[in-house]
Amino acid sequence: MRVDPSYVSNLVGSLDQAQSNEQQLTAELSSGVAINSLSQNPVAAGENVLLLNQIQQDDSFTQSSNLVSGQLQVADSALGGVVTQLTQAISLATGADNGTLNAADIRSVGSQISGILDEVQSLANTSYQGQYIFAGGQTSTTPFTTSTNGTPNVTTYNGDQNVNYLSTPNGQKIQLNVPGSQIFLGAGSNSVFAALNSLVADYSSGTVNTTQAISDTQALSTALGYVSQNRVTIDNSITQLTAASDAVTSSQTQLTGAQTNLMQADVAEVSTQLSLSETQQTALEDVIAQLDQASNSLFSKLQ
Amino acid sequence: MGTINSAFSLISGALDADQSALSIVANNVANANTPGYTTEIPNWQENQPVSINGVSYGDGVTESGAVSLRDRVLEERLDQQQQLASSSSARLTALNSVQALFVPDSGTASATAGDIGNDITSFFSSFASLEAAPTNSSLRQEVLSSATTLAGDVSNAAASLNTQRSALDQEAFGVTSQVNSLTGAIAQLNQQIQTTTPDGNAGTLEDQRQQDLSQLSQLIGINQVQTENNGLSVTTTSGQLLVSEGSSFQLTSGPLGGVTNFFVGTTNITAQLASGGGQLGGLLTARDQDIPSALNTLDQLAYNVSTKVNAQNNAGTDLAGVTGTAANPLNIFSQPAAIAGSAVSMSVVMADPNQIAAAAAGQGTGDNSNATAMANLANQAIVGGQTPTDFYSSFVSTLGATVSGVQADNTAQNASVTQLQSQNNALSGVNLNDEAAAMSTLQTSYQAASQVFTILNTIMTSALNLGTETAVT
Repeated sequence: MRVDPSYVSNLVGSLDQAQSNEQQLTAELSSGVAINSLSQNPVAAGENVLLLNQIQQDDSFTQSSNLVSGQLQVADSALGGVVTQLTQAISLATGADNGTLNAADIRSVGSQISGILDEVQSLANTSYQGQYIFAGGQTSTTPFTTSTNGTPNVTTYNGDQNVNYLSTPNGQKIQLNVPGSQIFLGAGSNSVFAALNSLVADYSSGTVNTTQAISDTQALSTALGYVSQNRVTIDNSITQLTAASDAVTSSQTQLTGAQTNLMQADVAEVSTQLSLSETQQTALEDVIAQLDQASNSLFSKLQ
Repeated sequence: MGTINSAFSLISGALDADQSALSIVANNVANANTPGYTTEIPNWQENQPVSINGVSYGDGVTESGAVSLRDRVLEERLDQQQQLASSSSARLTALNSVQALFVPDSGTASATAGDIGNDITSFFSSFASLEAAPTNSSLRQEVLSSATTLAGDVSNAAASLNTQRSALDQEAFGVTSQVNSLTGAIAQLNQQIQTTTPDGNAGTLEDQRQQDLSQLSQLIGINQVQTENNGLSVTTTSGQLLVSEGSSFQLTSGPLGGVTNFFVGTTNITAQLASGGGQLGGLLTARDQDIPSALNTLDQLAYNVSTKVNAQNNAGTDLAGVTGTAANPLNIFSQPAAIAGSAVSMSVVMADPNQIAAAAAGQGTGDNSNATAMANLANQAIVGGQTPTDFYSSFVSTLGATVSGVQADNTAQNASVTQLQSQNNALSGVNLNDEAAAMSTLQTSYQAASQVFTILNTIMTSALNLGTETAVT
């Protein structure tokens, strides 16, 4: 069979191929990205979407957890303050109940406890970034208000029982708040405010009904127990949040590594390919230069 | 060799034949680079021998005309392969423009602008952030701005797809007139070939017809049928007659259902042309299958995300304590009426970020359970049985696989075309070395014949002078 006389045009086709190959490799080298279009690696392109989705979720959780951890810290420190105040109130009340104090001292205890009551109420009305943190879902309403119409005074809760959770990327739920009623109102007579209001009423006159005062002091101790219990919930949330953040950070590192492996160009490999392709191109150009000389036709040999 | 005279006629015949063969070589060399030219070889014929007294005397040779070296089967195979290659090449070009809209995010930049996958994640993540502080106005604003980005990118992508589709439509429309002028030319050449050379080799006329056929093969899918007297009929691959010997039938086009449709006579052959091959086939496949399928995917994504997010937002309470109702809905996205077209029209209608219902219905504004529910939509199978991200991921994988498949087809078909072209060139192309060798042989033959002629001349002179030697120069 004869040779295709237009072999030069076929060689030029190969040359085009080599050049487009070089362009592609150069683009990979300069951008550092191995996959510039979906068709280069469809599976990796799909995988990339999923990886980026996870990385971004992790990223967003890290930001949320910073925000939330501030709120949880504020709640914890407020409850810490409440515990300190209540402990002091109990010790004052215990001193007043043993019958050794005179009327003036007892009235002074009453007014000190009244001050503690105000302080506790202000702590219970703690807000974070303008939102009351012990109000359940009613974060824009002052959760605890005291009415001075009766004796003892009555402190009411204006919030609700709503509990917010933050979901971690792997689906775990972290409790973000404890409703104020659960912390401060306890069950029935175990209310912090009822106990404090009663004690204030007990000591206001200077004469103490010891039985009543002891029972009210007892109630305050129980209420303190509730506050401490609920503070543990907040502390648990802080611990969980820290653990989740750590897990998310390490998962983010892994995912970013995987995504980099998937999409980044391997510079050493691409450089080798580029150099190979350039050698090929030079060889082709030499061949074409030699073949394309008209002097190579048999006509030039005829005289 | 009966007489000296007959020897003269034999030799002059040889000189004529060599002369004619040399002119064929010259013609070949002159047309070595003419597109579509088929190399011609001289056809030698032995003259009828003369029989005298039972002895047979040879009567020399004549050159009876050039014969083109062509293989019709090879040429037809080349045309068919060319149709496939042109089709996949036109489709590949269209698909490359489509996939350019969905460039994978390399992750080196914080986020590539226009990456719908990232937009989906950002949008649902903004709800996850809102969980942390449901009343925070900057987080609420973030939800709306990420929703705007998502809607903008989806509708931009859909609008670009529509533009690409109309560009393909225009291009396909433009092919019609080229097809018609080629079929007209083929019909005319048929007439000429049938009248001038009904039996023999049509030479350059047939070269021209073959050239037109291969051009036509680049445009649409055709079948060729040889008819009597060297004629040719051309049909589309689906069998619609385009050229019947001397007459051609026009391919016409007209709008139908928003796109250009193609007709022969009154028969609509758009669908057949799409699967037939050629550039038109590729353009129509991209116009009627690939782009509508990508658009439909975006439509589904836009429709489901918009309706599901709107429904969830209406299920909660916004910062003002309002819950959406049928009469006064709290819609984040414009509510699409139907799946078709929802990608193009995807937009954010909510202007006030306080209308985002982070709290569940009936709960205080500090509640975040509806924000959680919205964020959870990201992990629910709300689009075509998949989560939005999974749906988008499988969309880009499928699109990439389609492009890559067409690319592989195109490469293989082009290689096959090159190979067939090579085979055809090997047979029909002008090989200058061959021609040089032939010319050299013919020259030598011509010189030998003229040498014999000189000798005969001497003999003739000698005979005329009755044996007396005379110097002949």
